[in-house]
Amino acid sequence: MRTLRAVLAIARADFLERVRRYSFLLTLLFAIFLGYSAATGRIALQFGEYRGVYTSAWIGALVALVSTCFVSLVGFYIVKSAINRDWQTRVGQVLAATPLSKVSYALGKFLSNFAVLGSMVGILAIAAILMQVFAGEDRHFDGAALLAPFFFVALPAMALTAAVAILFETLPLLRGGLGNVAWFFVWSIGGLGLSEISGVHWLDPLGVRTFADSMMVDARANIPGYKGDFALTVADKPVKIVQSFHWQGISWTATDILQRLAWTGVAVLLVLLAALVFDRFDSSRSLMPALRRSKIPVTMSGEVAIVGANHAANVARTTANLTAVPASTRTNAFGRLFLAELRLALKGLRWWWYAVAAGLLVAQFAAPFEVSRRPVLGTAWMWCVLVWSAMGARESRFGTQAVLFSSARVLPRQLPACWLAGVAIAAVLGAGAGARLLFTLGWHGFAPWLAGAIFLPSLALALGVWSGSGKPFEGLLTALWYVGPLNHSPGIDFTGAANGVHTIHYVLVYFVLTGVLVVVAVVGRGRQMRFG
Amino acid sequence: MQLTVERLSKSYGRAVRALSNVDFTLGPGVLGLLGPNGAGKSTLMRILATITRPSAGKVLWNGSDIAHGPDALREVLGYLPQDFGVYPNLNAVEFLEYLAAVKGIAAAPARKRIGELLEIVNLTDVAKRPLGGYSGGMRQRVGIAQALLNDPQLLIVDEPTAGLDPEERVRFRNLLSELSGERIVILSTHIVSDIEAVATSIAILARGQLLAHGSPESLLASVAGKVWEIIVASVDLPALRQKYLISSTAHRSDGVHVRIVAEVAPAGGARQLEPSLEDAYLAALSRQRGSSDGPAKGGITTTASETTAA
Repeated sequence: MRTLRAVLAIARADFLERVRRYSFLLTLLFAIFLGYSAATGRIALQFGEYRGVYTSAWIGALVALVSTCFVSLVGFYIVKSAINRDWQTRVGQVLAATPLSKVSYALGKFLSNFAVLGSMVGILAIAAILMQVFAGEDRHFDGAALLAPFFFVALPAMALTAAVAILFETLPLLRGGLGNVAWFFVWSIGGLGLSEISGVHWLDPLGVRTFADSMMVDARANIPGYKGDFALTVADKPVKIVQSFHWQGISWTATDILQRLAWTGVAVLLVLLAALVFDRFDSSRSLMPALRRSKIPVTMSGEVAIVGANHAANVARTTANLTAVPASTRTNAFGRLFLAELRLALKGLRWWWYAVAAGLLVAQFAAPFEVSRRPVLGTAWMWCVLVWSAMGARESRFGTQAVLFSSARVLPRQLPACWLAGVAIAAVLGAGAGARLLFTLGWHGFAPWLAGAIFLPSLALALGVWSGSGKPFEGLLTALWYVGPLNHSPGIDFTGAANGVHTIHYVLVYFVLTGVLVVVAVVGRGRQMRFG
Repeated sequence: MQLTVERLSKSYGRAVRALSNVDFTLGPGVLGLLGPNGAGKSTLMRILATITRPSAGKVLWNGSDIAHGPDALREVLGYLPQDFGVYPNLNAVEFLEYLAAVKGIAAAPARKRIGELLEIVNLTDVAKRPLGGYSGGMRQRVGIAQALLNDPQLLIVDEPTAGLDPEERVRFRNLLSELSGERIVILSTHIVSDIEAVATSIAILARGQLLAHGSPESLLASVAGKVWEIIVASVDLPALRQKYLISSTAHRSDGVHVRIVAEVAPAGGARQLEPSLEDAYLAALSRQRGSSDGPAKGGITTTASETTAA
């Protein structure tokens, strides 16, 4: 009983701390946006060019899949801060000195994560009900069919996401930016593709296969010439509605339900694993010295014993040799600040980071031209993700805002120096492909490279300034890299290689976007400096 | 060189008024800013350091409003915030070089100054170690060094001695004393002995209001003849606490020696004592509580303006 109370107290305090932050409002707005997108047909379940009638079951499945696919992907980044927050606020040290067990702590944080994600699912469930009312395609309201997908699919998927976030936070290697990148692959391969890869129907944590199998049976019966396509997609053109296609939902058997709820059990197992490796706020217990937590902002507090004035005589005079710094020695030298920002960005990276970067650079010169400009260049820039993600966010992450922002001419000097350092890193790491593009294809080939090289640091800077965290950029760049350079999606491919005849069009788009992002970053930093 | 604060107020939302109509003018010297937790000291410091804008009123640096042109002040400002961070992968020299570049100090004088400052704050031996491995006191000393990097005319230090060991604390006090001759230093703390050692003027802030601003002597004069010591049995102490403003107690073989601040001598053979700044500070706070919550203890009822003319 005492343990349960401790778990609930941890969960409640953490949840309240989150919901009273401005960012939670943004989280809910994101859920509302997803609900709106589903309700207005911008996100749809499609079978080729077709879809069925919006029955209660269809809407429940659609919105539940929106939850499992989108909320779990983005929600991970939202909730992956529960333990780190206790490090930052030093509440963790207080908790570590209590009899609270690691399991209770991890379970409490897991429940808080789950509550946050669950509140987003709750909003989407309400959106689903409203959707059926306003869509009016099927007047028969079946509450069980509409809500079952949320209970049996969406919530277990959220539990899994909440648990993985806790696990990542307890693993030294994954608690930082590397974990943010890794999540995308865990989500896409383990979450979406596991059932496909393994060939096991029920290995389907996000529930996509579960709904697809059931709906495709009806699709074959109702859509002439149906070839087995199934997609949850952002619809870019109107979808044809097959009026005879009235999917009435999955007939949930006890086995089905157990298989779905088993993912909650897996989530609990992951939390127990997290508790096992959790260092209980003792960074010296980390196995890898370089991964010990040393990046916690310092708060100077506490006091020492008062010393009598007579001790002062024992301390020698101190300022006799302090050289004056007259105003005439002030300079606007931008170069030194740029080099300082570059050093700040690169300092602390391990030797193997430089080794891989050098390897990717050499590969750009040595690989066949198309390989060099596509996957190798894309991967070389992806390799910079953790360097760029600190841009704009470093000041709030390490608590140096007050010192920096009280210096003169910071906005016109420090921010551009930081941006230029990011561009320089992009240029150096992509130099091989850039040079070959320039000499092989001329300006036409070099322009997309240049657009990508200035776009990515600008995106990092804008997101960093406004979010105060590297997570949004780390998540977004990983997704862009996967969809763009790896899967050759025109427009999304920031190397420009997949854009074909539209290359110059996209170059212009990227240049404009870069300009907008830089302005957004400058406005954000200016705002921070005015309002603290 | 003059810093003028005119009717300065700062509110956070409608509920919290952190500063209310604060006025003062400063010339070269050390201003000790005293106040209990939540008095508004850090808010005032942040406004003076151009980090936060006031809700009302203004701050003039040599006659110019810093809200309209903060860079004029920032050029000559050294600021050590109460809570500040460092970049853990940089060492002390690299961190200070970075800030010197941000502050626009030319390379050669910056290098020289950094070396001297690291010596002054006693970090020369560890200057090449990453800051992530520094103790809290060592990082605080890096903070002190960065505040002095540009040879500031206005030096604002918020709880600077927190985390320092006794020797470093005395060293820092001496440093402040030596620096104060040709610049304005504002030192915020709630440790009266720090102020006692270095301040040429003292301001007391509580609940966002300036209770007193003047020389240490004028502050001491406000409680002259009002500090007493009586010796009581331990069991009588709680009753005494209810009745009087007690500055300190010390258990001795003959009973508890109680230091009391009161307009008139407490009954029971009270002996008059020389007032300390701590007595004056507590009396000022007590007067404010008395004016807002009802009569103050021990008859300390005079207003701030009566006792603290600058």
